[in-house]
This record gives sequence, C-alpha cells and structure tokens, in this order.
Amino acid sequence: MCNDESCDARRLSETVQRDQTLAAYVLRVSNSAAYAPKEPIVSLQQAISRLGLSVICEIAIAVSLKGRVFEVPGHQVKIREMWMHSAAAGVYAREVARTVRHNVEGAYMCGLLHDVGKPLVMQVLIDVAKKRTDRPVPAGILEGAMDEFHQALGARLAEHWALPEWVAEAVANHHDYKGANLYAKEAMITCLADKLAHWALDESLDDSDFEAEDPVIDDLGLYGDDLVRLFAYREQAIDVAASFLL
Amino acid sequence: MSTEEADLLVLGGGPSGQKAALEGARAGLRVMLVDREKAAGGECVQHGTIPSKTLRECAVYLHGLRRRSEGVVDINLPPNLKVASLMRRLRKVLFSYQDVLSEELERNAIERRHGRARFIGADEVEVSEPRGNTYRVRAGFILIATGSRPRRPEGVDVDHEHILDSDSILSLIYLPRSMTVLGGGVIACEFASVFTALDVDVTIVDRYPRPLGFLDPELSDGFLRAFESNGGSFLADRRTASVECDGYEVVTRLEGGEELRTEKLLCAQGRVANVDGLVLGAAGLSLTERGHVPVNEFCQTAVPHIYAAGDVIGPPALAATAMEQGRRAVRHALGLELGAEGSLVPAGIYTIPEIASVGLTEAQARERDGGVSVGRAPFRELARGQISGNTDGLLKLVCDAAGRRILGTQILGEGATELIHVAQMAMIGGLEVDVFFQNVMNFPTLAEAYRVAALDVASHRAGLRPAA
Repeated sequence: MCNDESCDARRLSETVQRDQTLAAYVLRVSNSAAYAPKEPIVSLQQAISRLGLSVICEIAIAVSLKGRVFEVPGHQVKIREMWMHSAAAGVYAREVARTVRHNVEGAYMCGLLHDVGKPLVMQVLIDVAKKRTDRPVPAGILEGAMDEFHQALGARLAEHWALPEWVAEAVANHHDYKGANLYAKEAMITCLADKLAHWALDESLDDSDFEAEDPVIDDLGLYGDDLVRLFAYREQAIDVAASFLL
Repeated sequence: MSTEEADLLVLGGGPSGQKAALEGARAGLRVMLVDREKAAGGECVQHGTIPSKTLRECAVYLHGLRRRSEGVVDINLPPNLKVASLMRRLRKVLFSYQDVLSEELERNAIERRHGRARFIGADEVEVSEPRGNTYRVRAGFILIATGSRPRRPEGVDVDHEHILDSDSILSLIYLPRSMTVLGGGVIACEFASVFTALDVDVTIVDRYPRPLGFLDPELSDGFLRAFESNGGSFLADRRTASVECDGYEVVTRLEGGEELRTEKLLCAQGRVANVDGLVLGAAGLSLTERGHVPVNEFCQTAVPHIYAAGDVIGPPALAATAMEQGRRAVRHALGLELGAEGSLVPAGIYTIPEIASVGLTEAQARERDGGVSVGRAPFRELARGQISGNTDGLLKLVCDAAGRRILGTQILGEGATELIHVAQMAMIGGLEVDVFFQNVMNFPTLAEAYRVAALDVASHRAGLRPAA
C-alpha cells in the first residue's frame, strides 16, 4: 500500500487505525526524537496531518519489517482474537463518542488499545514459565492472569509508550470506570465499546442479548434509540475485525 | 405503570430549569426536575457556557500576556500545550460546578430524575429512564426548559471528528493548525476568536456582510478589526456549496468556486430547540415557524399551567436571560410579584474582545424616539486601557435627545461583560447620565469609560460638539 502512488490519506489512515500495534507504534514513533514533532502527537489523524503520508508510510513499513510487538509462539490464534476484539472496540468507541458528542479521535485510541495489557501479560507469563519448565502454561491460569492484570499492565505500557494520559486512564479503568479520575468519560466510552465489541463478535448473540441494563449505559446518558443506532455498526465492527483474518 | 405527583414539574436542568426549580422549592412547592443528562446543569454545563468560557479564559490570558509584553518577551504557545491541557482545568471547573448545583438542588429538596419526558396530557408526562423503566408524573404546573442543540445544516455531515459542532469542538484533544468556521453569529464568533488567540489559523465564512450583524455596527466592526488583527479572516457574503473531509483535510467549497482547506471545521449555524420527543401536541401545544415554544411575556404557553423558558422559546438564548425567565415563569404561575428587576437583562458575548449590551442600541433608540444623544469612550483614551493594552475597546452611552436619561449602553473590550452592570444598575436606579462624572471613580480603571462617555454626552448637550 505504501508503494501505491494512488494511496490516499483516508486509506492509509484506515489501515493504520485497524491495527492496535501499528496505531500505538505510529503514535510512539511520531513522538520520538527521530521525528521531533513541534507538538505532542496524540491521535492518528494528527500524526498523518502533521508528519505527512510519506513519514507515516516509513513508520508503517518499519513496523511491518520488524513484525508485531508481541510474538507469543503457540498462542497466535488467541492473539489474533484479541486484535480482532480491539479493532471492533475501536469502531464502537468511535461511534459511542459520536453519540455522546465526545472526542472521537481520542475515544478510538482508547477503544483500540484498551486490552493492550492482555498480550503483554500472556507474553510475560509464558516467558517466565519457559525459564522454569518445558510444560505449557495451563489455559485457565493464562486467562486468569490476563483478566487480573491486563488493566494495570496495559496502563503501564501506555505510559511507557508515552501515549496520551487519557489512553492510560481508560486502559486502567475500562472494567471499573468509576475508578477513573479526570478521564472518566473516556473510561466509560471504552467500557461500553468493550462490551459492544464482545457482543458484536459473538455470532450467537442478537440485539436482545445485549445487556441494556448495564450501569454504563445510564452513566453515559444513552437511551434505547441510541443503543439501536449503535447496534447498527455491528457489521462494520465485524468487517474491521475480520480484516485480521486476511 | 406508576404515577407520581408534583406541584411543579420542570423538564430540563439547564439555567432556566434550575432557577425555576429553586424558585418553586423556596415557595414551598414539591418540585421534580427531569433531565435527560445525568450530571446536573444541562447543556450549559456539559457542552455550553461553562466549558467554552473556561477555554476562553485560558485564551484570554495568553492573548493579554502577548499584547502587554509588546514584543519584549516572546510569548508563543509552548510546544507541548494541548487543548487537553487547557481542558484539564475545565474538567476540574465542571466537577466543582456540578457539585455546587447538585448540592443546591438537594438542599432545597428538589427531586432530580434522569430521563426523557413526553407529554401524554396537559398535566401529565411519561418519563423514560435510560435503561428503559418508565413512569408517569402528574403536576399542577409544568415548565418546559429542555434547551437547544446545534443545528445541522443540510449538506454538512458533522462527524465530530473532522467536522465539529459547538458541542464536540470542546472535546478536541489537540489544537488544529487551521479551522474553518461556518456562521457569523455569537457562537461562531466566540469560538473563532478563542481559537485565533490560541494561534489557530481561523477563517469565518458567513453569508452576511458583517459578523454579529444584529449588533450596533460600531461594535461589530470593532470586533472584526480586533479579530483580523489577531490573525483571523472573515469571508463575508459567501455561501457554502459543499463540505467534505478527504481523510487529510476538510475541504469547504464556496459558491463561486473558492475552496478552503483546513484541518478542522466548526459548523456553528445556529441552534434548534430540543422539542423532539416531547409530544407537545398531547398537551395542546404547537410550535412557532422557527420551531420554538410560543409564550407570552410571563413565559406562559397557550395552556395556562404550562410554561416554557430558555433556549426552547427562542432568542436571545442567553444563560442569564434563561435564568430570569425560569424565575419569572414560576413567580407568575404562583401569582407572586414579579418585580421590575427582570425587565432589563444585559447580554454578554464572550468573544475576544468581549462585547456586552444593555437597553436600547443607538439605532433602536432613534427608531423609537427620533433623536438621541450618544457618548463614546474609546478605551485608548483611558489610562487603564493603555496600561492593560486594551486599546481597541469602546463604550457607547445611548441617552435620550435631551442628553439626560440613559436608554442603553454597548461595550466592546475586555471586561465588557462585567462593566455593563454599572450601566444596568444606573438604568434600573433611574440615574441620569451626569452621575458618571459628578461622582468619583477609581483611577485608573476601565469603568472610567463611563465618565468619558458621559462627559461626551454633556458636551453635546452644551452644544460643544454635534450630537452623536
């Protein structure tokens, strides 16, 4: 795509935004000394606008060559599922933000990166286990550790990568948004986007299966018709997630 | 479905709804306030007056510092300044203000409910909570104070991402390099001047020849001069043909072929009343041609026990006016004395520089009375104006033809929204214009403008200068 002269900003932006690793990396590298931006880059749109298409292409190529940030042999299916969920959550975070008239760019980053701690927990656990035994880590332990630690470690990772502070706060509090301080709305939007993404990617569920009584809906001030409008993005969320299967 | 009872039911928790609820509670009524937003304060607090003025405050300090430094100190926005940094302060302001409002409602035993209301009769509404629960409320008096929302013109797809409205602009997470502003009204000019002061390259596009065209031309021209000298551009007499985002920039094509390319676009072409879903017809109410709830001078609708106040009844759509309307509505409903204090409400426009007005403009006074005497005080003639670098301001005192009675005052310049209250109190007190130079004011102050303008009126009176 980067070698395609007809590539436009919209396509590049869409491609970068679908991949949480790529998106986080673009933000991280955009803010590095190598590109020395005059101001902090806090969204992908801003990165593309400030640094230009060619620079973003360079970054994207570098990431592609380097491979994904997380390489966990034997667990690529699980990792891919996580990427798919994150991509769908990004789509939903954007639409929830639009509905409540909050910042769409920031919400998208929060949705896309909310579970960035999960593969990190997985990688750490597997690496530690590998040093001690040849046996694989039982799936239950892996899942339990990810559930327990992904918010805290994800937030630490977001801080380490110097991602915007609202991303770190949303990542840290997306399951319990009442713990968020200054960025409670971002945490709420991410919380709902996470739930919508789980629902959207589970083919066995229909509209009536979504937990409409969830307190986050009340706290965001969403009504039944707002939810119906959000449900309509299910196909888009599935399509974006499915792009990871290509 | 359960039915609850209230003496006064207030629909909407913005400035008019709050004041009405408090007025009713103080009069001993059982008051219920239903708001579609969970947090107290309505749009005014969440997306309107409070956040926009907090952002403005930051811009004003920066702008003032830059102007006063006169190049001695290089005042540029620090490279790490983000809107989010500015807005972090906003969040703190919001939380504090919401707490104050909530406590005030609680202290006065006002029952606050989260939900959307629709009329099912002239004295009964059905409330739907976000999670689906519904119940009915029957009330002796009902006040409709549901506010307004940004109008979405046809052909402008507000995505809250590249193309924003006056609500979503306040959640920007970085300062764009450039911005097109569609509209030349109060909201458009307020945001345009604030973002210009924050070094954003702003272009206002409007179909009228002047921004803020409803103002005294001396003030709107003065605003335009200040806006352009701060780096903003105003494209007058232009109509928009299309607006779209190409993924990189927002492209605004104007009729006639001009094209603007900016990072963001703010669509600020008016607001519409929040009446959708109220089912006003069930209460026997209809709307005006412009979509507002028609009321009389007491904010009473065609159905005597139903009142409406604030943006939902149309212009001037100012928070201060809305508060007074809410208060007035409840007092009228209860047969209480209204007082004269509500008859003279000032208007404030939080552009940079500020604009404020009370009473009649020169044109309105001429049309009504024929002759007028006008006194002017350019801020550049004031010591405080020079000291503070506030030299582009102007105060106009509009008096009767005899040059005695004050009919109105208009002010352009920083501090205008505070200064205007001096004129308001003088008018309410029935003071003559000479009071401003027969009494001592602090020196140096901007309030001294009243003395300068009053002396101007006196000189017309004495025939020393031609009137106006």
